[in-house]
Amino acid sequence: MTTLTGFGRIARFILRRDRVRLMVWVVAITLITLASAASLPAVYPTQRSVEGYVQLFGDNPALIAFAGPGYGFDDPNLGLVLVNETQLNAMIALALMSIFLVTRNTRAEEESERADLVRASVVGRHAPAASAATVIGGANLLVGLLCALGFIALDYEVTGSLALAGSLTCAGLVFAGIAAVAAQLTSTGRAALGIASSVLGVAFAVRAIGDVAGNGLSWLSPIGWAQATQAYADERWWVLGLCLAAFIGLLQGAFWLSTRRDLGAGILPQRLGSAHADRWMTRPVGFAFRLQRGALLGWAVALFLMGFLYGSIANDIEQLIEENAFAAEMFSAQGGASLTDQFLAVAVAQLALVAGACGIATALRLATEEAAGRAEPILAGPTPRSTWVGSHVVMAAAGSLVALVAAGFGAGLSYALVIGDPGQIPRLIGSALVTYPAVLVLTGVAVIFFGAFPSIAGAAWAALAVAFVTGYFGDLFKFPDWVRRISPFEHIPGLPAEDLAFLPPLLVAIVAAALIAFGARAFRVRDLRAD
Amino acid sequence: MPPVIACSGLVKTFGPVRALDGLDLEVETGEVHGFVGPNGAGKTVTTRIILGLLRRDGGEVTLFGADPWEDAVELHRRLAYVPGDTNLWPTLTGGQIIDLLGELRGGLDQTRRQRLIERFDLDPRKKARTYSKGNRQKVALVAALASDAELLVLDEPTSGLDPLMEAVFQDFILTTKAEGRTVLLSSHILAEVEKICDRVTIIRQGRTVQSGTLAEMRHLTRTTISAQTQQSPDGLASMSGVHDLRTEGDTVTFDVDTEHLDAVVQRLAALGVRSLTSHPPTLEELFLRHYGDALGNDEGAPGSDDESATRPAS
Repeated sequence: MTTLTGFGRIARFILRRDRVRLMVWVVAITLITLASAASLPAVYPTQRSVEGYVQLFGDNPALIAFAGPGYGFDDPNLGLVLVNETQLNAMIALALMSIFLVTRNTRAEEESERADLVRASVVGRHAPAASAATVIGGANLLVGLLCALGFIALDYEVTGSLALAGSLTCAGLVFAGIAAVAAQLTSTGRAALGIASSVLGVAFAVRAIGDVAGNGLSWLSPIGWAQATQAYADERWWVLGLCLAAFIGLLQGAFWLSTRRDLGAGILPQRLGSAHADRWMTRPVGFAFRLQRGALLGWAVALFLMGFLYGSIANDIEQLIEENAFAAEMFSAQGGASLTDQFLAVAVAQLALVAGACGIATALRLATEEAAGRAEPILAGPTPRSTWVGSHVVMAAAGSLVALVAAGFGAGLSYALVIGDPGQIPRLIGSALVTYPAVLVLTGVAVIFFGAFPSIAGAAWAALAVAFVTGYFGDLFKFPDWVRRISPFEHIPGLPAEDLAFLPPLLVAIVAAALIAFGARAFRVRDLRAD
Repeated sequence: MPPVIACSGLVKTFGPVRALDGLDLEVETGEVHGFVGPNGAGKTVTTRIILGLLRRDGGEVTLFGADPWEDAVELHRRLAYVPGDTNLWPTLTGGQIIDLLGELRGGLDQTRRQRLIERFDLDPRKKARTYSKGNRQKVALVAALASDAELLVLDEPTSGLDPLMEAVFQDFILTTKAEGRTVLLSSHILAEVEKICDRVTIIRQGRTVQSGTLAEMRHLTRTTISAQTQQSPDGLASMSGVHDLRTEGDTVTFDVDTEHLDAVVQRLAALGVRSLTSHPPTLEELFLRHYGDALGNDEGAPGSDDESATRPAS
């Protein structure tokens, strides 16, 4: 019996168990990437528009940070646009797929003690990790193949298409290896996910800094390696070999680490927490904050970054639109405000929707806590139901407010830096804040669903979908007015392009308050759901 | 003094299912009251109604003389609760959860908290995610037992504990009782109920089938006798009050109604007794008598620990 005995059977088992998950990841990543690839020829129909894009891109550090180093710009072609628009997103998606699925099939299995059953049978020590890495590596390869065929079918140049698709697969493979190592270090699947995702975050940041500074720092990041393939320019195939070597090396490292530990244990010692609770977290609102603070911080950071990205390109938008018939159509319809302000108003509306999502997710924590049976010990104590609901609603309201301010601050900051006008910071924070009543309506919808329809509380997300569809396709599909007015965001003036009005936001705020009050009331008079 | 808990004719339905169907329960001040029934009998549903987490569909229920649904918050200040399925926040440590539940109730006794943690052998610095079911139960038990609550409501609190910890638990319950506090202990671990409860209410399919002290119930029931006699025990089987007589080798075992005990023992003595054991019926036997028809069905078998409140046995 070797350390790999049972490899094939376990690999088939993983394929069977995760067939739906694997398919969803592969299909989603492939479709989104190819949809983007398919849309580019229409957006950049001429060589001149491609040159415009390249010029815009080369001058903008924010775009470089969020897309890649950019190369081959002395000889622009549509393939380079494709690389900039899809490569980084697809690599991150593949890295996440690898991290989630490898962790799920290695450390999470051990944590659940199902691995005990498997390893007690005729199975080699390294077979589970090797099978997981192989199956998930295969999924990365499949995405690469489908993307390559798609790019070629869409008339992108063949060599470049193979290089781009290869770089995607290789980035995914490296992170499968990183996840396999992370799974050896900790004793919980969650912590392993945390370590591997942190590596992804650092890899992203290192190459962002390196790309902007142009100092070679990016070579410290596996994402940087994959980008250095230089698809559609001067392809460097050996970089893909570097990625493959890293994958195999990491896997060997994981095997070696696994011989240094017991089944179920991690290399890193289990961290102990505090034996006592701080006083602030034993109050209802403090406790809700303790439960939600990590997620709320994540929302705020994400919105700051999104805002920063929008703000950083706002000043280039006039130039972009002049050269882009598609975008020109989108913006020229509205008169009065400058194109830049119109763009910023659209950006603020998008950011407000994301802040609304933050409110829904935070408020729906009520439903998760109840369904998991964790509301029961609280409500069996002298905490009134209204206080418990209120504690999480306060988190949703405050969290989405902070997220909005972060978004406005991010947009204002980068726009201010670009045009050298610090006054843009308060201006864009203010524009974002005007949408707050509409954001609160989404929180209110979540509270109503939790209170009145707890078995389908997740349906509250439909409110976000409605707001999104009316906001984006309302003009396009010529929705009748009454349909559009369902969305609370339709009643909010689109700052900074439109003038501020006080009455409509105030009325929307009253609606939000009423929704929250009715939802809390509905919860107060119903049975607590048992799991 | 009015009873701490009084339920009469309690009805609760979930859709077409009648989870409680006229249930009666009375718990007096200062007693440890066993609330016994097979899984799905309605113990957890009753507990949740008493706590004001569920609303009754019929009947009467009072807690400390008040309505548990209307006055939930005020009443909850006076009680502590350990749910049967203890669900904790995975990212908090056991110690943090004990403090949280204690402080929400208005503070807990730090000395007693420390002593409980030591006796239950719980590491309060570990995250709840890493706890076994037994350890999760210990967290809830420490939080409840470290409080000054007048009433402890415990829903199958020991189903995940090992025998050693069960003994610790029973110790603490007896201390609690000595302090004059009241305990409602729902359980299907009969040995535990026999050891620590003053009175017992047995329920089945949402109805109370029997309630009283263990002594009162045994009065209504039979004694089991095993004996080896010098002479063959012929004729015993035909005595009135003797049931289920079986012979294995020279040992005869049978049940006897209490009112005929005297006559049967005299008859035995005449046969020349070489060895004799007799014991009062265990709750297991009471159960068998009441639920005999349910045996062989999973939901009637005491000992499995996943009670589902919302899906009672039909």
